[in-house]
Amino acid sequence: MYEENDIEPEFMKRPKTNPFRTPDHYFDTIEDRIMGAIEHEAKKKTTSTPGKIFQLLKPVLGLAASFAVIYLLAYYPIKYFSPNSMVKSETTNTSSPEILDAYSFNVSLIDENSLVSTIFSDETDTLSEIKPDELLAFLSTEMTDLEIYTEIQN
Amino acid sequence: MTDDQKILDSLKDPSTKELAFRHLISKYKERLYWHIRKMVMNHDDADDVLQNTLIKIWNGIDSFRAESSLFTWFYRIATNESITFLNQRKKRMMPGLNDVNEYLLENLESDTYFDGDEWQLILQKAIATLPDKQRLVFNMKYFDEIKYEDMSEILETSVGALKASYHHAVKKVEEYVKTHDSRIDL
Repeated sequence: MYEENDIEPEFMKRPKTNPFRTPDHYFDTIEDRIMGAIEHEAKKKTTSTPGKIFQLLKPVLGLAASFAVIYLLAYYPIKYFSPNSMVKSETTNTSSPEILDAYSFNVSLIDENSLVSTIFSDETDTLSEIKPDELLAFLSTEMTDLEIYTEIQN
Repeated sequence: MTDDQKILDSLKDPSTKELAFRHLISKYKERLYWHIRKMVMNHDDADDVLQNTLIKIWNGIDSFRAESSLFTWFYRIATNESITFLNQRKKRMMPGLNDVNEYLLENLESDTYFDGDEWQLILQKAIATLPDKQRLVFNMKYFDEIKYEDMSEILETSVGALKASYHHAVKKVEEYVKTHDSRIDL
């Protein structure tokens, strides 16, 4: 086991002197400075209770503020530039009063008599004139699309 | 009744507490200051740490149980405050520095209250390169000549571990001095 007498390096043979010093009269005023600091600390403790609460809540408030900023920065761009919102805004445009007026104007232009005659006209009769045999024969011809198209054209 | 016991009794009485504490400061201020100064090396830092130490003593004096002597307790607080201070300084003010030792070397060179000659500067630089615990043990043993048994109580470390720390510290200081001052005949 090591014993202190085992060590006697040369540097230890030199005289031990304190190379450090203090400012003049430094030790004369320590008591007053310390008591002043203690008094100051005590005053701070008694007067800074709200400040202390704020200090305790500071990290939480900071976090909440960060989330609020991130929410604002992310929410508005998403709201205004996302495809859904653009469809919504277009929908809103089509249901605007001006467009509705335009449509109602067109409807008002249609004459009641012409509307009734269109509904009860004989145009649909051309379909009823096709006999079932003809329709069956047409479907069973196995014509290609191109042949059907050319026949219609002719 | 010892002087410390009288002071402790006076500290328990609110009407005499402040006066007793002033007496306590004037009795131990120099020893505490020099203990701290050897750890932090710079006067301004030592002044800050001494103030923190004494405020801590004031705040904790009511709960002092007298299981150890007053000065042992003071020494322990001063030691802890010094190490805490150095670690905080290293983190906050000197982010470029690798460890406490580099901070201490800078501190030593910038201290206007260093009056030592070249040899003393080399010795202090050698001490500054030691790890915290070894520097503490070296200062307490070499400069303050505190017995290992007392040191053991202050630092709450076994005598064997303290002897080993001192042994390593002396070897390192000797090596540093050898390499940095060729004029010293070792």
